Amino acid sequence: MTQAAQVHHPTTKDYIRIAVVLGVLTAFEIALFYVEGAVGEDMPGWVFPLALISLSAIKFVMVVAYFMHLRYEKPMLSRVFSIGAVLALSLFLIVLAISGRIAISG
Amino acid sequence: MTDIAHDDLDEAAGEHDSHGHHESTGVDNRKLGMWFFLSSEFLFFGTLITNYLIFKGRDFGPGSIYPVEFYDIPFTSISSFVLLMSSLTMVLAHAALARGDQNQTRTWLAATAMLGLVFVSGQFFEFTEFVLEGLKLSSNPAASAFYLLTGFHGIHVVVGVVLLLSLWGKSVRQPEGLSPEQGLNVELVGLYWHFVDIIWIVIFVVVYLIQ
Repeated sequence: MTQAAQVHHPTTKDYIRIAVVLGVLTAFEIALFYVEGAVGEDMPGWVFPLALISLSAIKFVMVVAYFMHLRYEKPMLSRVFSIGAVLALSLFLIVLAISGRIAISG
Repeated sequence: MTDIAHDDLDEAAGEHDSHGHHESTGVDNRKLGMWFFLSSEFLFFGTLITNYLIFKGRDFGPGSIYPVEFYDIPFTSISSFVLLMSSLTMVLAHAALARGDQNQTRTWLAATAMLGLVFVSGQFFEFTEFVLEGLKLSSNPAASAFYLLTGFHGIHVVVGVVLLLSLWGKSVRQPEGLSPEQGLNVELVGLYWHFVDIIWIVIFVVVYLIQ
């Protein structure tokens, strides 16, 4: 048996647990949307967007790590995947900063 | 048992690969190619999301209508949940194949394709409603950016459904089910499908929930 064969992959029950967590996180996101509609004016503008982006980031990482098995793959694949993600995020931030949709202090 | 079976599947595919496919990096070239493709897709969707955010909320003059006025959050939430659960059925199809359970593989592949069709049908319904209410592709740049982003995602889902149905068809036609070589195809289609799901995770929050 190779070293890779000794790595523990999730079982069917693990996958179902992960899907339940993903479902609960989605429910939280939707609840936050409605809570913002009710009390959003009393809160700083960044609170709800930050909370929603954090929840979606957790879901994103869970799907990539467990459903796409990146956690169990060779590190090279993580680097390949991360390059695209980092470039896209950089493009996103640079274009939004240039277009004035996000503020750069200083 | 499942963990060993997973690796048996990989090794079985790898044995075949040593004759037909190179893997000088230690990873099957087709799998590496798929990860490179998915990585490049980040830039594709990153550009479309950025484009949408640039125009979202801009004033295009009196009488202009905007996508945000038409969003049906409960409906889109259900669609999002359906797509999220399709990732579960996809990974269950892959796990079933790793166990050598061809019947369950067929069932979960079909379930994934069906959930994908439900999602695309929902998107078609949403687009139809929006157009009937006056929000057209050419209404303003915000509307164009919205249709471009969600439309291209929908096209990706349709491509995924076609690939899934193709695998399911092969699995049904062959009495012995999918071979280890085709097992790698299930893994590659699975990677594509999960990627489409994670892009929707971002779109759902950035486009629909953060208003």
